[in-house]
Amino acid sequence: MKYVKLPKENLDAFVENLKTHGKVYGPVKIGEYYSFQEINNSKEMSLEYSRTMIPPKKFFLKLKERLFTFNEEKGEYKETLEEEKIVVFGIHPCDINALKLMDKIYIDETPDKYYKMRRENAVIVGYGCHPDEYCFCHSLGTNYAADGFDLFLHELKDGFFVRVGSDKGNAIVSEISELIKDVEGSDIEEFRAAERKREKEYTLELNIRGITDMLALAYESEVWKEYADKCFGCGSCNLVCPTCRCYDVVDNVNLNLKSGERLRRLDSCMLRKHGLVAGGLNFRPTRIERLRNRFNCKGSLREDTLNCVGCGRCTVYCPSQIDYVEVLKKVRGEL
Amino acid sequence: MILNLEDELLDLLSNLDVKSFIMASSAHEETDLDVAFVEGSVSTEEGLERLKDIRKRSKILIAIGDCAVWGCVQAMRNQEMSMKERMRKVYDKEENFYDVLEPKGLSAYVDVDLEIPGCPIDKIEFLNAVLSLLHGDLPEVKDYPVCVECKLNEYQCLLVEKGMPCLGPIIVAGCNALCPGLGVDCIGCRGPIRDETNAAEELNVLKEKGYDEKYIKNRLKFFGANFGEIAKLSKMLEKKQPGKGGK
Amino acid sequence: MMENVLLPKLAKIVKSEKMTAIERFLQVEVLDKKFAEVFDYQPGQFIEVSIMGVGEAPISTCSIRTKKGVIDLCVRNVGRVTNAIHHLNIGSLIGIRGPYGNGFPMEEMEGSNLLLVAGGLGVAPLRSVLQYALKNRAKYKDITVFYGIRTYDTMLFRDEFYNLLAEGDKLGCKFYLSYEDSKDKQCISLEAEHSERCMCGVVTKLFERIKLSPEDTYAIICGPPIMYRFVVQELTKKQVPPEKIYMTLERRMKCGIGKCGHCIIGDGTSIKYVCKDGPVFTYWDALHTKGMI
Ligand SMILES: Cc1cc2nc3c(=O)[nH]c(=O)nc-3n(C[C@H](O)[C@H](O)[C@H](O)COP(=O)(O)OP(=O)(O)OC[C@H]3O[C@@H](n4cnc5c(N)ncnc54)[C@H](O)[C@@H]3O)c2cc1C
Ligand code: SF4
Ligand code: SF4
Ligand code: SF4
Ligand code: SF4
Ligand code: FES
Repeated sequence: MKYVKLPKENLDAFVENLKTHGKVYGPVKIGEYYSFQEINNSKEMSLEYSRTMIPPKKFFLKLKERLFTFNEEKGEYKETLEEEKIVVFGIHPCDINALKLMDKIYIDETPDKYYKMRRENAVIVGYGCHPDEYCFCHSLGTNYAADGFDLFLHELKDGFFVRVGSDKGNAIVSEISELIKDVEGSDIEEFRAAERKREKEYTLELNIRGITDMLALAYESEVWKEYADKCFGCGSCNLVCPTCRCYDVVDNVNLNLKSGERLRRLDSCMLRKHGLVAGGLNFRPTRIERLRNRFNCKGSLREDTLNCVGCGRCTVYCPSQIDYVEVLKKVRGEL
Repeated sequence: MILNLEDELLDLLSNLDVKSFIMASSAHEETDLDVAFVEGSVSTEEGLERLKDIRKRSKILIAIGDCAVWGCVQAMRNQEMSMKERMRKVYDKEENFYDVLEPKGLSAYVDVDLEIPGCPIDKIEFLNAVLSLLHGDLPEVKDYPVCVECKLNEYQCLLVEKGMPCLGPIIVAGCNALCPGLGVDCIGCRGPIRDETNAAEELNVLKEKGYDEKYIKNRLKFFGANFGEIAKLSKMLEKKQPGKGGK
Repeated sequence: MMENVLLPKLAKIVKSEKMTAIERFLQVEVLDKKFAEVFDYQPGQFIEVSIMGVGEAPISTCSIRTKKGVIDLCVRNVGRVTNAIHHLNIGSLIGIRGPYGNGFPMEEMEGSNLLLVAGGLGVAPLRSVLQYALKNRAKYKDITVFYGIRTYDTMLFRDEFYNLLAEGDKLGCKFYLSYEDSKDKQCISLEAEHSERCMCGVVTKLFERIKLSPEDTYAIICGPPIMYRFVVQELTKKQVPPEKIYMTLERRMKCGIGKCGHCIIGDGTSIKYVCKDGPVFTYWDALHTKGMI
C-alpha cells in the first residue's frame, strides 16, 4: 500500500480536485441525523459523524429506481440507465466492508448491471471513525478497511494519513502532488497510536464465534416470539442495513396505458409480503418467522464473512428499540 | 380529492365511461358497472341498501378513502358506548330514529375488491390504481407501514430521533410518507394495516416516550377505531380507567 | 456493453390453449434470432415471464426444447401476472428472462429407475423430465409416473396422459393416476377402464401399486407444499435414501438470480436461495436446511 499525507489546510483543495472526478457526496448533518448528500466544499460535511441513517449502499443499489421503460405499441423494453461519475467521501470502514459484501452478490455472481456500473463509476474515499455505544464492528473484524476503497483518510493532528488503495486512488494522488506530502516517521507513529487508542474505544462486544450454529440451534427458541411481540414489522432494520440487499419490483403504466416503467425499491424480509405467494400461502406468516429469518440471514456466512458488519443501524433506528446485539446474546444463552 | 387531479382527470375520463360520479357529474345511471368506486362509510340502513345494490351491479367494487375502508373519524367513539347511549347523549332519546348504524367500512357489509385508504387519499396512488384497472388488472395493494416510505425517501425518523408520537409503524403506506417528510408525525389517516398491526407495542413505545395513555388512545382511535386490535386495546384501557384515562 | 440481465427479451405467443378452468398451455417463441440460438433449458428450470405494466412471474418449462427459441409453459391463473398471461392472444408480446435455476440432474440419474410423483400443477415441470427421459429412453431403467388430481376437470395434458394410461408401457413408462373426488364420474369410468393404473385417493396411495427397488431408484417430486411431507414419508418407508429424492420448490421470486432475497430459506448454517441454489433440492438438503418443506 502506498501512504501519503494530506495537510489539513489542503482538504478543500483536495475536495475541489475530487469534483473533477464526479459529483462529490459526503456526510451532512440534517436536523438530528446524518445523510450522504452532494457537497461543494469540505465545510458542508460533518466528518465526525457517527453513522448515516441510510448507508452509502444507496449510491449503488438505489433506495428506489427505474429499471427500464416499456412500450406495448412499439413492443420494446428500453434501458434507461445512465452513467454518472461520483465520489463518495467519508465512508466508514464498516460501510466499506459492507460494500465488499454487496459486491459478492451484485458483481461476483450474475452481475447486476445497475450496481456494477455505478460501482465502477465511483471513487470511494474512506474516513477513520470513532465508535459510539451502538458500534460492534470490532467484534466482526470490520472496524478496519484493509481494501475496498480508492483512498482512505485517517485524521492526524495537522493533516490526514492517507492510504492509497487502488490505481484510481493513485491516479488522483498523482494529480494533486502539490497538495500532498510524503509521510514521515512521526506521522506513522501518530497513526499507529491513534489506531491503538481506537481499538480500546469499543464498549459493545458480540461473540460471533459459532454464531451460525447458535442460530440454527435456537431455531425453535422462545426468543423469536419474545421479540416478535415487540416488533412492528416495519422493515426499518433492513432498510437501514448496509448489507441487506432484498428488493421488490413493480410496473407502472402511463396515462396512455401503452407505455410505462418497471421500478425497483429496497425491500425487507420483515414485511408480510416478502414470503407470500399467490393463493395466500405465506412461508413466513408471522413476525416470529420473519424475525428469525432476518437474524439467520444476517448471521449466515457468505464466503467466510457474516452478512453483518456491526454498524449498529438496525438497533438505533428500530422504533421499538429492539437491540440486535441483545437478541443475539439471548440466542447464545448469554442473557 | 379526486377532483383535484385536474389534467390527469381529464385524460383519465377519456378512457372511462362514467356512469355515476355523484359529486362530479349529474349523470346517474342504474346500470351494471365494471368498476364502482365508493366513498364514505356506512352509517344508515338506507346507505347499506344502496351499497348492497351497487355491489350487485358491479364487477369490481373499490372502497376509496378511510371512511369507506375503516369507518374513519366518525367511528372514533365506537365501542365506547352503545348506539342507544349515544342517542340519549345527543338527542336525549333512546330510539334509534334515524336508522343510524355504528359507522363502519364497506368491507364490514359487502365484499370489497380493493381498498384505497387515506384521508384524503393520495392522488398518485389513486391514479395508479385506476390506470391498472384500465390496463386490465387489479392494482397491487400496499400492506407495509409508512416507515418503509420514510426510509426509501431518507426522511428523518421523527419517533426515533425526535420522540414525536408518530403512528407510522402501524399505519399502511401509500402516501409516500407525506407527513414525516414535512416533519409532521403520522396521525394515521390511512388507517392501520389489516391483520398486521402491533397496536399494543405502539402504546408501549409512546408511553415510554412520555405520552399519557388517554392521549395515545385517542390518537390511535382517531382513524383506527374499527380496527380489531385498536378496538380491543382501547376497551382494555377503558376498563382500567373508566371515564377519563390519562394521568 | 455489459449485459443487463434484468431487461427482458421479447417473445411472442404462438400457441395458447385452455386446459382447465384455471390453467392454460402456452407456447412462446423468442424474437431475437441470436438469442433463439443459445436459448436452451433443462427440465426443472424456469423462466421469468414479464407482462408489460403488470409484472413478472417465474414459470417452469413444461417440455424439452424441440425447436430453437421456443418454450412451452403451463400457467395457472392465480394472481395479477398469471391472469394477464391468460388474457394474451396469439401474437401478443411478452418478455422473458432466463432460463434460471439448477434443474434436475438428468445425467446423474442415468442408469437408474425413475419415479416421478406429481400433484396438480406440479405435473408441468415433471412433464419435461418425462419427455427428456423418454427421448433418452436407453439411459434409464424403469420409468414410473404417479399423477394425482383432485377431479377430472383439473387434469392437465389430458390427451397425452390418457395415452400414457392406455399405452404407456409400450411407450416406455408406467403411468398411474389417482383422483380425490370419489364421486367424479369421469374418473370412475377411467378407473373402470384401467383399474390397474387408476385409483381413488391421494397420490401416496399409488405406492400400494408398485414394488420399488430403493438401491437404484431416483424419486422426483413436484406438487403443492403439503404433498412433499407425505410423499417423502412413503419413500423413506420404502428405504429410498434422502439424497435420491429430488423435489422442486416454490417460493416468492422477484429476480430469479439470487439478488432480491425473497426466495430465501434456511438457518445460519445453511441459507439457500430457491431461485439459484434450486428450485430443485434433495430431501437431504431439506433435512439440513430449516423451513425447506
Ligand atoms: C420455480 C417456480 C416455478 C413455477 N412454475 C410455474 C408453472 O410452471 N406454472 C404456474 O402456473 N406457476 C408456476 N409457478 C408459480 C407462479 O410463479 C406464481 O403463481 C406466480 O408468480 C403468481 O404471480 P401473480 O402475479 O399471478 O400472482 P400475485 O399474487 O399477484 O403475485 C404477485 C407477485 O408475487 C410473486 N409471486 C407470487 N406468488 C408466487 C409464487 N408462487 N412463486 C413465485 N413468485 C410468486 C411474483 O413476483 C408475482 O408477480 C412457479 C413458481 C416458481 C417459484
Ligand atoms: S444487521 Fe444491523 S448492525 Fe449488522 S450491518 Fe445490518 S444494520 Fe448494521
Ligand atoms: S436480512 Fe432480510 S432483508 Fe436483509 S438481506 Fe436478509 S432476507 Fe433480505
Ligand atoms: S425495525 Fe424494529 S420494529 Fe421494525 S421490523 Fe425491524 S425489528 Fe421490527
Ligand atoms: S417518522 Fe414515523 S413513519 Fe417515519 S420512520 Fe419514523 S416512525 Fe416510521
Ligand atoms: S428470486 Fe430473487 S433471490 Fe431468489
